[in-house]
Amino acid sequence: MASSYLLPHAQHAPHAHPTASSQPRQHHWSPYTENGGVILGIAGKDYVIIAGDTRSSEGYNINTRTARKIFQLGSGIILGVVGMSADGEELARKVARKIDDYKRNHDKHITVSAAAVMLSRTLYQKRFFPYYCQPLLGGLDENGVGAIYTYDYVGSFEREQSRAFGSAAALITPFLDNQINLKNQFVPGSNGEEPRTPGDMPRDLVEKIVKDAFSSAVERQIEVGDGLQMVTVTRAPPRAEEEEATVEDDDEWTGSTISETLSPLKQD
Amino acid sequence: MNQHPHGWGRPRDDVYGAYDSSYLNSTQPVTHTQRPIVTGTSVLGVKFQDGVIIAADNIASYGSLARYDNVERLLQVGTHTVVGAGGDMSDMQYLHLLLDNLLIKEQYPADDHHLHAPQVHSYISRVLYQRRNKFDPLWNSILTAGADPNTSEPFLSYVDLRGTTFSAPALATGFGAHLAVPILRRHVPDEAAVKDLTREDAEKLVDECMKVLWYRDARSGVTYSWSVITKEGVETGSKKIENQSWKFAEMIKGYGAQNI
Amino acid sequence: MDALVSKYSPVELDAALAEDSDDEVSSSLPQTVSFILPPIDQPAKFLRAMTDDHANPAAPIKLKHGTTTLAFKFQGGVIVCTDSRATQGSWIASQTVKKVIEINPYLLGTMAGGAADCQYWLTYLGMECRLHQLRHKRLISVAAASKILANLVYSYKGMGLSMGTMLTGVGHGGVFGLYYVDSDGNRVEGNLFCVGSGQTFAYGVLDRGYKWDLTEEEALELGRRSILAATHRDAYSGGYINLYHIKEDGWVHHGFNDTNPIFWKQKLEKGEFQNVSTTLDA
Repeated sequence: MASSYLLPHAQHAPHAHPTASSQPRQHHWSPYTENGGVILGIAGKDYVIIAGDTRSSEGYNINTRTARKIFQLGSGIILGVVGMSADGEELARKVARKIDDYKRNHDKHITVSAAAVMLSRTLYQKRFFPYYCQPLLGGLDENGVGAIYTYDYVGSFEREQSRAFGSAAALITPFLDNQINLKNQFVPGSNGEEPRTPGDMPRDLVEKIVKDAFSSAVERQIEVGDGLQMVTVTRAPPRAEEEEATVEDDDEWTGSTISETLSPLKQD
Repeated sequence: MNQHPHGWGRPRDDVYGAYDSSYLNSTQPVTHTQRPIVTGTSVLGVKFQDGVIIAADNIASYGSLARYDNVERLLQVGTHTVVGAGGDMSDMQYLHLLLDNLLIKEQYPADDHHLHAPQVHSYISRVLYQRRNKFDPLWNSILTAGADPNTSEPFLSYVDLRGTTFSAPALATGFGAHLAVPILRRHVPDEAAVKDLTREDAEKLVDECMKVLWYRDARSGVTYSWSVITKEGVETGSKKIENQSWKFAEMIKGYGAQNI
Repeated sequence: MDALVSKYSPVELDAALAEDSDDEVSSSLPQTVSFILPPIDQPAKFLRAMTDDHANPAAPIKLKHGTTTLAFKFQGGVIVCTDSRATQGSWIASQTVKKVIEINPYLLGTMAGGAADCQYWLTYLGMECRLHQLRHKRLISVAAASKILANLVYSYKGMGLSMGTMLTGVGHGGVFGLYYVDSDGNRVEGNLFCVGSGQTFAYGVLDRGYKWDLTEEEALELGRRSILAATHRDAYSGGYINLYHIKEDGWVHHGFNDTNPIFWKQKLEKGEFQNVSTTLDA
């Protein structure tokens, strides 16, 4: 393996003692590229939203205005990826397959916490040749509460309320800290003494915050724009007794409903 | 592991050697096994209301030398798909070999299942991504164009040497991404606009773009191959760029002998 | 000759493309997991080029790094205390990292260096400890657990892992153990360690106040105060103070508290941090 790296003449001329200057110069090629874009995830009391813009770029070129960054992995779990799209899509494909395998092997849907660990292991398996993408995993936990799991490139992970990744993360994160986690906000009239405590936010308000976050990021970051893909996981309405009996493929029922909306962002 | 407060936890030079930034090169086309030698330039593709058109010129360059002027860079794969490649021509030919083998294998069962553009694109992108994982890329940018034989739904996708894939109503590789895409997008900014573009207009549009590339891309050629894929199948032809006007060249200042 | 024959025999092209079985989906134990290496002659150099944000602040892949952690033994057990900030370069990636990893009810590991390395290998260690317990019908000693970890990361030495961890807890027979283990393969037993970019600041406070006979309350306060000092002076440390106490029957969590109110309480009520002014004109 190592020798294939050398030039042919160096391999077959053991008598030649290469000096520093005559040693084959090693050239390197980067397997990575950056396709820009931003994703954000917010977990609520009974829903999860992951949103991303649909621009895919490379340098100053816009590859396409309609690239999706959020994928449905099955079993009510969604994944947003940003960074190098080839790595991100590979990761989504791989984890979707593992989630499918889990269901076949165990005859039940994987929980979002178990899927979170599995994604971490999948990332760590490439610890020495990392995926160049940052993933956000979303779904409803065992209690039907929204969960967002956030990762670094090699699999360290954490469950959080809200998180933005990608080229406008530095623009959106402070906004989310303030508006979702109510950082540095105080109860009016308390003279800055009593901090506001984050509680459950209604979904329509959160959707407005998401849209504001994106339309603002578009104004200041060239790699973000074109369209907004918003994927939401909510609890499925409980089924009536008789309906439950008639549903033939009960396995498919995950207890979650996933919906996706696309809306325009500025294209300049 | 560095134990100093700044840089804590990072690799130490005396253990790992000096930091080598050459691994970060993204453009330098030199790998341990290969580099592009004989290269083709842009490929263009545009969707129109009942199909898709794809075009690539016939030049293969050796550096700045226009070494071959009769190279076919479009390959028909099956009945309703055409694959166009830019970049290294030997890698393209290897890919053609793979596609031929794939197609033959798919013929054996005679089960009336046929590979169409989405499957071909998927196959090529897996090959390219896997080769980038081996640090041994196939040095190509590839457009896969096709139409669904039943619905005539057009298909157009891009994949490159790192396995990056994307789709759009109009795509171009290489220099075309800079010169042709803006022109193409003026006519087909989105999928809705595809419905209003006729085949005649699409052909004219591609011709216009090939002409612009011929004017400004020094690695381009004056003849090009085109394929139109509709639900009826693939129609292929060759075209020479007509009605050239080099008047704009008089405006160029700064090169050669000239009086301002 | 065989090589020549195989070289010129027609190959099944698909076989030539078949990926190495890096992606076993079957439920294999982590012992058999093989890590994917970049197929080049110096994988560690490649990894470093991509991830060393200290040598190259523009490195594309910035891994999460943890920062100030401490642990010390005293007459009443072991105190473990950490901050909660994770940074990717100068970007604060998280203020809510759990840097104390609960391996089992008796064992804790701390996270400094690469967050993923610590999380992964300490979780792995947890499995090994459980297996030990099942095989031998008693708790693993901290000494043995730390040695498993040290041997493990030593086998990856030079490949680019980054991990500075303290493994501490109570083992069979109520024996307290405290070991520092890092990704170079060092394994050191001791009564007191601070690890991470803020370690020097934490040492300053901890050494000043440390004695074996600390009461439980004093020890908890000393741990908290040492981390507070580090979060104050080290830009890569901050967030929340995560505090644990290990007793003979296992660890007890003593809160995950925001540093900011603690800092102001410390200043205004105890008169410390006099260098920090409360007004703009001072």
